Amino acid sequence: MGYSVTYLVLAPSALQAPAVEEDESLVERLRRGEPTAVGEAYDHHHAAVRAFAQRLVGEAATAEDLVHEVFVALPRASRNFRGESSLRTFLISIAVHHAHHHVRSATRRRAAFSRLEREPSAEVSADPEAIARRKELAQALTRALDTLPIDQRVAFVLCEVEERSSRDVAEIVGVPEGTVRTRLFHAKRKLREELEREGFR
Amino acid sequence: MTEDLLKAATSALREEHSGEDAGANFTRARVMASMHNTRERSRKRWVLVLPIAATFAAATAFATSGRMPALVQSVAAVFGLAQGTEQPAELPTKPSKAQRRVHVAPKPAPAPVTEPTLEPSVEPVAAEAPPPPTAAVTAVRPALNPAPSSALPDPGHALYLEAHRAHFERGDFARALPAWEDYLRKAPNGRFSLEARYNRAVCLVRLGRSADARSALLPFAGGRFGGYRRNEATALLDSLAP
Repeated sequence: MGYSVTYLVLAPSALQAPAVEEDESLVERLRRGEPTAVGEAYDHHHAAVRAFAQRLVGEAATAEDLVHEVFVALPRASRNFRGESSLRTFLISIAVHHAHHHVRSATRRRAAFSRLEREPSAEVSADPEAIARRKELAQALTRALDTLPIDQRVAFVLCEVEERSSRDVAEIVGVPEGTVRTRLFHAKRKLREELEREGFR
Repeated sequence: MTEDLLKAATSALREEHSGEDAGANFTRARVMASMHNTRERSRKRWVLVLPIAATFAAATAFATSGRMPALVQSVAAVFGLAQGTEQPAELPTKPSKAQRRVHVAPKPAPAPVTEPTLEPSVEPVAAEAPPPPTAAVTAVRPALNPAPSSALPDPGHALYLEAHRAHFERGDFARALPAWEDYLRKAPNGRFSLEARYNRAVCLVRLGRSADARSALLPFAGGRFGGYRRNEATALLDSLAP
């Protein structure tokens, strides 16, 4: 399976969280079951949720399924939103809770296709070598992530790939910060071993 | 293997998956379609469930009001499911105010709505009929002139009037009993047949024919006619117990 990842430069606003007041009124409308509220939430936050989903499951199609699931679950889940975090963080926590079976199925698919040759990249770039190296590294890391327990995987993606603070991650995952740091420590150790085993030095 | 390699791989993964995708609009449409379907399902569920719940609530309320047997028998009559003389399939429609105003009271003078209790000192017939029931024998005394809205032709209307007079005006149960039976023979499915059956049972109690009274009261006490006169029949049966 070839991953058709499109490289786009994000406009700064696309990843910027809306104001807190905007979040509050949106959540209020979600709770009231207003049909347009979900569309609005999607427009504001889909990029952040998709980025996390793609980084976590490592597969574009499965990530889209996860994004879909998150926004469909949002109106009901919004009843539990207490406003202690941003709506975006809340959406990421919904994604974490829905990610388990998506990660499992993506991991299984990757294992099944691992023996097949990778399709050549169709990208044209000024530095094809650098792009190929980046793609190779990303794929190697995704394969290495497949070997981690889901909790450690989530901790690594949120802390290292998404560069969130351990406090944020603790809030998203719903565990103490110390637990997040422990999971991250074990995740990094195992990932290094896996990458070494794959021949990366 | 150095820390740098893991960092480089992490950075590569971050850049590979930036969150933008050509399928973003498609996923948005999927989300909106799913939401729409969910709302539709929910709406259809309510459309289906609400009338059922309302019907159930109304039926329960109606059944507890004691009018259910009358309704059942009316429906049975409409569909020709009427049974024999012993099982009248037609009932008076809505009980009249006079019926609903039945209370336990001593025997009134001219036209009492309530039958007197069976006490030997009050009832001359009860004196020769030994059962000493403690429960009040309450007969049904419907209006003699039914409302025009419920004016179905009743072939035994004259007989009914006769039985009514004998029972309620003269208190002559020896004459009322055959009069009720005449009415029931003539109009087994008549509008007042169920009341007639009950009043006939009361006459039997009055006349001390305990065995006959018991068998006449059992269908009422057993709920064959729903809640109609069920409590009264049960109380009378208890009073007839040896």
